[in-house]
Parts: sequence; structure tokens; C-alpha cells
Amino acid sequence: MMKILVVDDEESIRLLYKEELEEDGFVVELAKDGLEALKQVPLFRPDLITLDIKMPGLNGIETLKRIREMERRVPIVMCSAYGEYKQDLTTWASDAYVVKCADLTELKNTIRRLLRLL
Amino acid sequence: MSIHPDGYDLLKTAIKLSSSSLPIETKLETMLRSITDGFQSDRSLHLPPEAISKEGFLSRVAERRKPLWVDETAPFQEEGVLPEERNLLCSSFACIPLSDETSFQGIFYIGFSKARTFSSGEVDLLRLLAKEIGAAIRNDQLHRVAEETISEWTALHEMGKAVASTLKLEELFELILNTGRKILKAKGGVLRIEEAGTGDLKVKSRIGDYHQTPLDERMAHRVYFSRTPFSLSRKGREKSFLSLLCVPLISKDRSFGTLAFYDKESDPSRFDQRDLQLLLTMANQMSCAIDNAMTHHEISVMAQDHEKNVRQLSTLMELNRALLTTVNFERIVHVTLTAITIGDGLGFNRAMLFLVNDKDRVLEGTMAVGPNSAEEAGEVWSAFSQRKGNPSELIAQIGSSTENHSVLNSLVKGIQIPLEHEQCILSRTVLEGRPFNIGVPHDEEEWLQTRCERGCHLGSEVGCYVSEHLSRDPKIYAFATIPLWGKGKVIGVILVDNLYNRNPITEEDIRYLTMFSNQAGLAIENAMLYRNLEEVHRELKEAQSFLVHQEKMAALGELSTSVAHEIRNPLVSIGGFARRLDRALPADASEKRYAQTIVKEVKRLEKILSHILTYTHEEPVALKELDLREVMEESLSMISEGLRNGGIQFTKDFSEKVPRVKGDYYQLKQAFFNLISNAYESMNGKGRLSVRIHPLLKNGSSFVRVEVEDTGAGIDPESLHHIFNPFYTTKDDRLGLGLSIVHKTVAFHQGQIEVNNHPGKGVTFLLTLPAQEEKQR
Repeated sequence: MMKILVVDDEESIRLLYKEELEEDGFVVELAKDGLEALKQVPLFRPDLITLDIKMPGLNGIETLKRIREMERRVPIVMCSAYGEYKQDLTTWASDAYVVKCADLTELKNTIRRLLRLL
Repeated sequence: MSIHPDGYDLLKTAIKLSSSSLPIETKLETMLRSITDGFQSDRSLHLPPEAISKEGFLSRVAERRKPLWVDETAPFQEEGVLPEERNLLCSSFACIPLSDETSFQGIFYIGFSKARTFSSGEVDLLRLLAKEIGAAIRNDQLHRVAEETISEWTALHEMGKAVASTLKLEELFELILNTGRKILKAKGGVLRIEEAGTGDLKVKSRIGDYHQTPLDERMAHRVYFSRTPFSLSRKGREKSFLSLLCVPLISKDRSFGTLAFYDKESDPSRFDQRDLQLLLTMANQMSCAIDNAMTHHEISVMAQDHEKNVRQLSTLMELNRALLTTVNFERIVHVTLTAITIGDGLGFNRAMLFLVNDKDRVLEGTMAVGPNSAEEAGEVWSAFSQRKGNPSELIAQIGSSTENHSVLNSLVKGIQIPLEHEQCILSRTVLEGRPFNIGVPHDEEEWLQTRCERGCHLGSEVGCYVSEHLSRDPKIYAFATIPLWGKGKVIGVILVDNLYNRNPITEEDIRYLTMFSNQAGLAIENAMLYRNLEEVHRELKEAQSFLVHQEKMAALGELSTSVAHEIRNPLVSIGGFARRLDRALPADASEKRYAQTIVKEVKRLEKILSHILTYTHEEPVALKELDLREVMEESLSMISEGLRNGGIQFTKDFSEKVPRVKGDYYQLKQAFFNLISNAYESMNGKGRLSVRIHPLLKNGSSFVRVEVEDTGAGIDPESLHHIFNPFYTTKDDRLGLGLSIVHKTVAFHQGQIEVNNHPGKGVTFLLTLPAQEEKQR
């Protein structure tokens, strides 16, 4: 069973992702900001992380940096309402970038691609 | 012998009658009757000189100037009695000649059928009576001469007065001839005046039916040169004139003409010494008047010239002032050409202006002013002559209406003459920088030298073109060209002609036109410079407003970006859960439709958001060398099946070689997509869509032209100005960013966008994008 850590400050998004991904057979753990995510990573040991960028406290880009310092291999999908960081060097360390959309097809396809489930 | 009645009474009666104011005929008749009665004679007669024939006895009596007494004591002894004299011979009669030292008034005759003797008393009495008759006749003659002289002097006096009353030469000549003829009782007259310069005598005025003959001409010359009067009389019927009087006209010791009268109305036609004297007097009196009138005439001609000069100079000044009031090019040119053509200005019939285009080395027709036809010319000129006003007012009136719809103007505006075409008189004027006054030629050779043999459009209108045969070309009239000088160089040519009144063009006209055009040239050059300045200014203004627009859009972009982001997150959850709801509900649940509606609406909102974010440049730009054909293919593949599967015929025409364009893939893809989906939507499932991509060379630079053509409804002309404005749409369900994204993208790529709009028939969007420079190998 693949484990996915969803990091997002919006509760409704977290709920949506959890239900959708669990339905697809993933084990999902949630974190409401960067600091919580950093705590979860060593405990939960996720196979993939979805990371929001705009968050209070530790933002997504800073969180990405910190996670990479302790865990180099885990695939990270940047998941944001903003499109402008897509080709930005600040997110170079991530594995994919998905602009948030009600239709989760693109996100799910990206996750499956990164987990080599396709 | 019987005693005669009272001699004293008879003498008294005679003297009374002689000194009475009765007409001479009545006087004589009454005197003779009283003598006849007094002497109881058969008859007494007065025999006038013209009744006395030569060779008769009466003529001898007249010659002897002695009375002839025939009575009983002295019988008639004369010989050579003429038949008509026979009835005068009777028993006793007396013939007493009536004469004094200088004149002869005929013979007094008294006859008696009975023989008688004249007593010495009777002889004395008859002598006295004869003397009285002679005196009466002489008095009458003298009186008549005096009256005639008085009337002649009156006529001369009248003439003098009349002559002094006019300074018009024609009138004066007519007056002199009229009065002269009346005084001299001549049938006709001629007045000749020497021609200034040549000294030839020219007939200036004549009266009566007179035919000039060489003889008459010769005599006039003789009188003119010798300054002595001349009179002539001839006999015969066939002659053009029988008698002639000719006197010189002399003023200030100089002879300047002759005055001649011919054929006296009396018979025989012969002028006497008195007539000559009269004519001389008249001529002396007239000479001064004629000379004065001629001087006056010369002065008024000079005054007219002077006035013309003053008027032209003031026009020049007025024009200068008018030119200073504006820098509007069209108006300055119009004012200039009008000033050349109005009567108060230079008065040419037509004027045309050609300006040098330095870049292309051609002369370009700029404007022409002049009536279209002779009829119109007449109307225009009479309108001008009725409009009193100084030139500046006229110029102001004309200049303000810049409309110029004449045929000539549109013809001239279409003319381009290469400066290399040296045969053309216009090119020559520029190249040689001097005026050409092409007058009407004297012979064909001259015509060919000054005229162009190559026909251009101008040749059909102006007399500069010569066709193969001179006779076939009706445009034989004068025209002139003068260079228009700017600062140190010729900037154009003015062509003038007098097509309608065919007036010759003088060197003075050219001089004045040159003076005038020097002023106009500077004004026109200034206006041209100002026009360029205005153009640059306008471009700057446009650039400025574009920048302002950009800035506004940037501000709008910032605002909308932050709003868009805030909306996006809730949309994701709304949409996401709606999808879940949709999936969870059984297919027959009525709530499923509600969920689907939420999904659909969220999708639409997300699309709007992405449009806003694209427009406001959220997406970062990545410039790459792109093949626009590939980009277009990508855009075409984005078109949904629904649109594509209608009854729309699609054609694609890409050139084999298309240079690459440096640009942003996503922006261009989006722009092309927007154009194509607009086109599909405008055709409502029926029509033809053509997409073309070709290389394009413009001004030596390389471009790629992308064309998207549809056969849809086209764009409403009123909306055409707004189609590139953001948030402008005619469709209710759209945000109106599609075309503004296209516009922004093209502008970002430093390209151009054109719209060929045919409302109701379709529209073509033409994008021109600069191509990447070919890499040097």
C-alpha cells in the first residue's frame, strides 16, 4: 500500500484529496502546514508528498527545501493555485508541478506516473 | 422829252429800300418796279454777272465799265449781238454797269419802246439809281460773307470747346473730323497720326466713304515731311476724289500727323483759299489738343501699368500674410495656387504644383487649381469681378474651403514623373533650377524642341506634349514652368497656363511669378516640415496612450491575479466534492443532475480564471525559436471535437519553408487557439475555415504571415474598434479576453495584426510576426 502525505492549509482541500486518493487505494496522511509536514515525514515515511505552496508559517517552497535535506528520494508534487512557479527555479527540487483544479485527473495521473503505477 | 417824275422821290424810295432789311430779291424787284413806273419805261432789269454771256455786247459794256446810252441822239452801234440779247434792243435803252474798284455786280438795264432822248438830268438820276442798286447788292453780299464767317468761327469755337472737353483720343479724332467736314462742307476726311517708334503714318480716324489710294497716301507723307499744306483738284468722274485739302498737324515744332478733307459738296467740287485758311486755323488749334490727348493716353497707360504693379505687389504682401497665418500644408498650397489664378493676383488661367519626392527621385502631382472648362472659367471670372474686396479677403475665402474636386486636380494628383526623365519640361525645371516660358511656337521645329514626345497623363491636359502631327494636336497654347525653391534647393515646380483666354505669357509675368513663388516655396517647405513633425508627434501620442493602456492593464492584472488565486482554492473543493457527489449518486437519482451542474459551472469558472491569469501574464515567458506551423498544429489539436465535427470545411495552406520566430510557445499557442475557436464559433457549424502560414519580405526584413480566414458573420463595424479591448465581448457566455490575448501576444512579439472585415461575409485576421534572423553559416 502506497502512502501519500497531503500538505495543504485548506481543510476542505485536505479532505477532498484524502477521500479521492483513499478511494484510489492509497494510504493518506494529512498535514496543515510546513512544520507539521516536517514532523510527519520521518514518522509516516510517505511514498509521495503533495505540497501546497502558499501556506501560513512555513510555506511550500521552504518546506520543499527542508524535506529534501532529510529525504532526498521521496517524489514531491507541488500543488498550487499559482501557475507562476511552474518553471521557476524555486521549485526545481520538486518532481512535478500541478496547478490546482477541481478535476483531479491531472494530479492523479502525475502521482501514478511518479509512483510508476502506470 | 417829257419831264420824269420827281427824281427826289425816286432816289428817296431807292435809298429807303436799299437800307431796309428786306431780302435782296424783294429789294431789287421793288426798286426796279418803282424805277420803271417813275420813268414810265417798258421795263427795267438787273442782269447779274452770271447772266452776262461772253462775246455779247453786254460783256463789252461790263468790260468798259461805262454806261451805254441809246436814244434818238445816239443810235445803237454795237456789233456782235447775241441772240439772247436781241430782245433787249429797243428804241431807247440804257445799260449801266454796277461796279466799284474791286467788284462787279452786273448791269442795270432800262428800256423804252418809244424813241426818246435821255436828258442830262435823267442820266444823272439813272446813274445814281444804278449806284444805289449796286450798293444794295454789294451790301447784301458782304452781309452774307460776314454771316458765313461768323458761323464758321462759331463752329471753330464750338470745336475748340468740344476738343477741350475730352481727352479720349478716339472721341477727339471723331469730333475733329465731324466739325471739319461741317465747316468745310466736305464729303469726307481722314486723320493720320505717326506711329510711335516707326514714324509711319497710320490712319487713326476717318469720316465719309473714302477709299485710300496711293496718291492720297503719298500726298499725306509729303505734307507730313514738308510740314506745308497741300491742295489738289482734278477733273473726271472715275476718280476716288476730285479735290483734296491736306494740312500737317504740328505741335511743339514737330509734325506728328496730317488732317485731310476731300470733295466739297458744292459743284464744282473745289476748295478755295478760304477753305485752306480755315483748315490751317483748325489744324493749329487741334494739334495741341491731339498732342495733349496723346500724352494723356500714354500717361494713363503708364498709370495702368503702375497700378497693376502696385496691385500685384500688394497681392504678394497679402499672400505672404495669408501664408503666415497657417502651417496647414493643404491650405498653404491651395492659397498659393489660388493667388496665382485669381484676376487680382497673377491672373493665370490654371496653376499646378508638383513636389519633389527625394526618396524616390520623382515629381509628384500635388494640387491643381483652375476651371474645368471655358464656360466654368467665364463663370468663375465674372463671379470674381463682381466680388469687390482685396485679395487677402478672397484668399481667406478660398483658402478656407479646402475642397478641390476639379477634374484637373484629380488628374494632377495621379501624376508621377521620374526626375531622370530629362525630356520632360517639369523635370528640367527642377534639374536646371530655372523657369521655362514655352510660348506659342512660330514653326514646327521650335515646337518639337520644347515639347515632350513621350505622352504622359499630363500631356492630355497641358500643351507640353506633341503628337506625331502638329496639326492633330489642338493644344497649341502657351504655358510656363518655374522652380519652387525651398532653403537652398528646388522642392517642386509650378506649372501655369492660359488655356481659356489664350493670353500670351510675358517675361514680366514670369518675373513676378518667380518673386511670388520664392515666398510660397519657403512657406510650403515649412508646412511640409511641420507636417512631418505633426506625424511624429501623433506617433508619440499613440505610443504614449499605448503605454498608459499597458500600465492600466498591468494594474488590472495584479488585482485580478490575487483575486483569481483566492477563488481557485474554494473552486477546487466545490468542484472536487461535486464530482464525488456525482459519482456517488445512483444514475437515476435526481440529485445527480444538480451535482453535474455544479461540476460544469466550476469548470467554466476555472476556464475564466485561467484566461484572466494568461492575460495578466501570470505565465512566465520563455522565448524559444519556434516553427509557427508546429505551434498552429498544437492549437488546432486543442479544438474540441464538437466544433470540429460540424459542417465546416477546413483548409490548411502552409509554405514549405517558413523561417523560425523567436517567441513564447504557450502564448502563441493560446493566441492561435483563440483565433481558430472564434472562427469556428462565428460560422455556426457551416462555412469554410482557412489557415495559412507563409514567409513574407517587407522593407528588406523577413516576417512570417499567419492568416485565419472564416466565412462567418464578420464583425459589426461598430464593434470593430473594441474587439481588442479586454473584457469586450458580444457573446453573453464569454469573458471577452480571447482577441485581447491575441493582440497582446502579437504586440509582445513585436508583430502586427490586421483585420479584413466583411460584415455578413466573414473576417480574416492577418498576423505578421518578425522572423528570427537567419544564422550565418
